[in-house]
Amino acid sequence: MNILGISAHYHDSAAALVVDGVPVCAVQEERLSRHKGDAAFPLLAIEWCLQQAGIEPEALDAVVFYERPMLKFDRVLTCALRAFPQSWRAFPKAMKNLLGEKVWMRGIISSHLGVSARKVLFTEHHQSHAAAAFLTAPTRRAAIMTADAVGEWATLSVGDGERGSNGTTKIRRFREIRFPHSLGMLYSTFTAYLGFKVNEDEYKVMGLAAYGQPTMVEQVRKLIRRTPDGAFALDLNYFEFHTTAERSYSPRFVELFGPPRNPYEPIDLDTAEGQRFADCAASVQRVLEDTLVELAQALHRETGLADLCLGGGVALNGVANARLLTESGFERIFVPPAPGDAGCAIGAALYCDRIHFGNPDRDVPDHPFWGPSVDGSELARLAREDGHFAEEFQDGALIDQIADDLAAGRIVGWMEGALEFGPRALGHRSILAAPRTTEMRDRLNREIKYREPFRPFAPVVPIEAAGRYFDIPPGGTRLGRFMSGVFPVRPERRSQLQAITHVDGTARVQLLDTAMAPRLHALLEAYGRRTGIPVLLNTSFNLAGEPIVNRAVEGYSTFLRSKIDVLVADGTRVTKRTSATGSTEPERMREEVA
Amino acid sequence: MVDSPRPHERPTAFDRMLTPVHRWIWSDTDRRVQKLLRFGETETDGGRDILRAAEVTSDPLLRRLYLEHAIDEFRHGILFRHRAAELLRASQTASNTGFQGDWLAPGGHGLDDLQLDGESDKTMLAFLHLSEKAAASRFSVYRDVMQHDPPTRAIFEEILHDETFHMNYTLTQLARVEPQQHKRHLWRARLSRLWKAYLRLATGLAAILGSILLTIQYFVLLPPFAWMAKRVANREHPGWTTGSPTRSDSLNRQY
Repeated sequence: MNILGISAHYHDSAAALVVDGVPVCAVQEERLSRHKGDAAFPLLAIEWCLQQAGIEPEALDAVVFYERPMLKFDRVLTCALRAFPQSWRAFPKAMKNLLGEKVWMRGIISSHLGVSARKVLFTEHHQSHAAAAFLTAPTRRAAIMTADAVGEWATLSVGDGERGSNGTTKIRRFREIRFPHSLGMLYSTFTAYLGFKVNEDEYKVMGLAAYGQPTMVEQVRKLIRRTPDGAFALDLNYFEFHTTAERSYSPRFVELFGPPRNPYEPIDLDTAEGQRFADCAASVQRVLEDTLVELAQALHRETGLADLCLGGGVALNGVANARLLTESGFERIFVPPAPGDAGCAIGAALYCDRIHFGNPDRDVPDHPFWGPSVDGSELARLAREDGHFAEEFQDGALIDQIADDLAAGRIVGWMEGALEFGPRALGHRSILAAPRTTEMRDRLNREIKYREPFRPFAPVVPIEAAGRYFDIPPGGTRLGRFMSGVFPVRPERRSQLQAITHVDGTARVQLLDTAMAPRLHALLEAYGRRTGIPVLLNTSFNLAGEPIVNRAVEGYSTFLRSKIDVLVADGTRVTKRTSATGSTEPERMREEVA
Repeated sequence: MVDSPRPHERPTAFDRMLTPVHRWIWSDTDRRVQKLLRFGETETDGGRDILRAAEVTSDPLLRRLYLEHAIDEFRHGILFRHRAAELLRASQTASNTGFQGDWLAPGGHGLDDLQLDGESDKTMLAFLHLSEKAAASRFSVYRDVMQHDPPTRAIFEEILHDETFHMNYTLTQLARVEPQQHKRHLWRARLSRLWKAYLRLATGLAAILGSILLTIQYFVLLPPFAWMAKRVANREHPGWTTGSPTRSDSLNRQY
């Protein structure tokens, strides 16, 4: 049975294909269209998935959209009516936005793919999140919690999932919290207030939080109160996201927290104003964590289960996930590699397979590598055409050479195999570097990633060596598998791991299992033999404002535009030619053209 | 004193005619900040498009030229953003969301929604050449009306210098890849730009009309429903909501 899952039209659209109960490929549209956070209908992603699996659209048994468009329309219209007459500006925009395309998904999918409209199905947004979290996790029975900004109506849901011994699968939702009361919207409001991009830069708030003290927790608690039944409610006097698309916080919010940050001014943490923003970030982070922990504790008491599957964009908050692991009572926490909306494409397809069609449960491969593969020979060709040095290696020799490069302080763009699905670079499209010095971190921030100096870099370490360098709590190895938890760097190791140790002594570490990425694992070991520390800095292979690279040519153009020293695609290693005149790459090109 | 313009920096008659309007638009600091920020975004977006062109072309020389072009555009974006930030710091004003005159004083250049992955090099070069030419014409006017702000004027001057290179290489390369018919491609690109300009105008007008109609409906039709929605909302209690027993989990339903 062939089932195509689609998520689109909010942010980060994607497609995923499930064949006979097992995902065979999945990719975000942005990785193919090269527009970061591309929310358009994912035609390129769909085409690639079908081509990869070698099936025609008519061979699809179902196409599942990850949410119910009319239910979403119901929410938008109801909110506009409730906010009458303040919503008069937002109403025309919202109606044009929804009525233009978004509510006609059945027809759009049917016409794009040429499949019968009867084959087009719809899951609920949080059902898709729940399925993506539970059905991809190696657990038989688990509690499920999903939290994001908003789906149709739900913003947070709790339930459980069970794989029966007879192959049946159940996913139950106990209850949900509905819009406008939303943890995701609370966090996004602070994201906007702090001058970052909503739905994109929430992780910057988390990074900034480490520089501040939660001195404004009481103020944040005025915005979100706990309800007698154990849920929460936002005080809407402090928000405007439910009435207008212009701004998410109200004048009362500004009275409480002070003037918002100008997005075009860098944050200077040495000033009182910069520290106020960091304290704001720390305070909302603390309240988010406290709320999630209390909700999870209640869910643990209710279900008595050992495992928790977390889904939704809020599950990208690694600091909160680590606290959930240690304080909620659950022994293991499963966060999929793409817990956000993109991952709903897999979730919707799996939900349809297991629950709608009632197909027997199948184990889902436990890795994030569902995208297109890289071609090393394409890189060699490009580099040679441009006069750069390209060498092709056998596997072992390549690992040794790259380990030497890294040990010599070179920065390596590393591409191998299939592209990751989800926002994290987990070793197939990564920039790798030595983790020892703050100079390396600053160099990466300044010369390659062109990003704010307060943002930390993540490490990758073989799972068997992790305990020597990081304080991983019981059950933490699962969170570390897809870089979903932030854990302390062991105090005695911090001076050796300066580039990846955040200001609060933590790191969002990836714990690498040999089976998941054997070549990167071998590289870590080879690097460890040379330097004594099998840990590398691992950051996503992209420049600011661009999606993670997919094909060799995209890695190559990123390599040429930045100060990455070495580029690797499968067995091909490329270095830049050096200029006799010392001229820069653009100058050299001008000279050539002249 | 305004230097005498080089041939490639001569504004078109239309742009020259609008010089007083441009002078007015750029005279206000808040407006200038907003326009520079917008230009910064346009240049960066244009840079990404050209970068994509570099990634999809099979011609090694074009790849290198596009890459350099893209790097220039990214740099222009940074120049605009930094200047806007400087002006913001100096003026200490909040960002202004009032009239910006965007359609009168547009930014650098986009690629007219060109589908880069499906376009040939010759189409791409023709579009780029015309876009650069149009941008150079506008930027020369902006430079000329910026006598009261030498740093911003210097940025336009620097960018104009780059645009010259971009205009020249695109034309030279178009003649290389299509020696016989490069003029025809330029004409086709001109017509396509005109058509797309018309489409943008028509879409813009339709959007305005749509907004007016929806706003009228909002105030005429919605009040009784709004009253009912508010009554229902008042009866709702925040907190957990459990699924209704009548709720259907059928995946066939969109609601």
